[in-house]
Amino acid sequence: MTIIKTWFGEIELRDDKIVCSNVLKTDTAALAVRLQKEEFADLDKQFRGRFREIAIHLHLVPSERDYISLLRAVAIQRAKEQITAAFAHPDTRIIQLIGGIDDIDESINFLSERLLEWDILEFEISRPRDITETHDPQSTTYPALKHEFAESIERLSELRKKISNAIEFEMHAIAPNLSSLAGELLGARLIARAGGLESLARMPASRIQVIGASKALFKHLQFGAKPPKHGLIFQHPLVRGSPLSKRGKIARTMAAKLAIAARLDFYSKKAHPELLAQMEKRVRELNKPQTRADIT
Amino acid sequence: MTIRTHKVAGVFMLDSHLATKGDALYGEKVFGEYRLWNPQRSKLAALLKKEENVPLRPEQIVLYLGAASGTTVSHLANIVSLVYAVEFAPRVARDLVRLSERLKNVVPLVADAVRPDYGHIVELVDFLYQDIAQPNQAEIAITNAEIFLKTGGYACVMIKARSIDVTAKPKAVYKREVKKLKEQLDIMCVHELEPFYKAHAAVIARLA
Repeated sequence: MTIIKTWFGEIELRDDKIVCSNVLKTDTAALAVRLQKEEFADLDKQFRGRFREIAIHLHLVPSERDYISLLRAVAIQRAKEQITAAFAHPDTRIIQLIGGIDDIDESINFLSERLLEWDILEFEISRPRDITETHDPQSTTYPALKHEFAESIERLSELRKKISNAIEFEMHAIAPNLSSLAGELLGARLIARAGGLESLARMPASRIQVIGASKALFKHLQFGAKPPKHGLIFQHPLVRGSPLSKRGKIARTMAAKLAIAARLDFYSKKAHPELLAQMEKRVRELNKPQTRADIT
Repeated sequence: MTIRTHKVAGVFMLDSHLATKGDALYGEKVFGEYRLWNPQRSKLAALLKKEENVPLRPEQIVLYLGAASGTTVSHLANIVSLVYAVEFAPRVARDLVRLSERLKNVVPLVADAVRPDYGHIVELVDFLYQDIAQPNQAEIAITNAEIFLKTGGYACVMIKARSIDVTAKPKAVYKREVKKLKEQLDIMCVHELEPFYKAHAAVIARLA
């Protein structure tokens, strides 16, 4: 006797004959819910070729064509639910928010450069000059436009602040340890680059150390260039503020701690304040000038 | 313009342009009832442009792993009877689902081909098409072929050398991957997809 579980129901077979079946009605929603809730075991390859035949035999559908159209409707319904669930994940929101911040930063840089050029132009044309030039119609509209341009940049940086507050809020909720060690924004960037907190938690520290340095990493792997010391974590004040000769060691230590923090966050969500103190202590030790006694 | 049929039924050559018959779905160019199929946007189109002997037939059921937003799926659906399209990433799966709503013979599945959990949905298939740029793509192809491919069915595996080993020469990577596939499948041919795709090759195999 064999029991086979398919998307449209459970069928019991004895000597290749259907003896019992529990097949749902052609209700798309109910079938999609079943796909989500039930556990399905592997089934024998010989039954896999008989799905259509069995469904028709059990009067679930009158023809192969109807089999496909029902299956398709159920699959589309289920896929939509899965997609909605994936987008509802807090990681997705954090990734989009930090992406927004990075885009705004880039835009502000661009626009600020342009504003500087406009400033210079205005300064030059407002100098005393002959009459024909002061009647340039541009002179009346130009400062107003420039003012509005500057205001847009101002508004963007206000928006950036709001987004950054939102990230801080979300990061405290889903990754308290990573936030305390890396800072909310850097933590969020690491999550974004890893593709989610779970993937970050599964990464080895050595990989976290070079997230964001893939160009240098592949140059190293492909052509034997020097390996990168740090990727995104260079943004951390403890790395950036350390002397060049110590940065590699410090980046390595920090990456190790960040890996622990990400795992604590993903698997327990409890804050461990001692982690930050440990990391700072270790970095202070590394930053101490080496004495002759240390070397020997 | 001259229109001729390709050796694969359902595929047409409009002068040197590849096309299938159907409604335009993603903004591709259209000539009457023909939708042009850009070999730089689809590895299958690149393969069909380079090689006419591809074992695709109108009555086949296809399992497509790595469907992405469904550009290739939409053309394949014009050629074969049914496509089970598997895609894991929610962002592109969203586009795939929208496309499936307009194609009567595409069944979209949001799932991970590495751990196939669609065994209770997908029936036996005649053709396994795989386009997932993963280091272990050969293993993924074999796993899925063992579960879903009919005896005597075909598999087409698109190998992206750069996703498997950036440090090795593409030809060496193809060789290694073909060797892995050979353990379970009979290799029929290997085609590099230059000039349409750099460091990509299509392997066509058969399950004995």
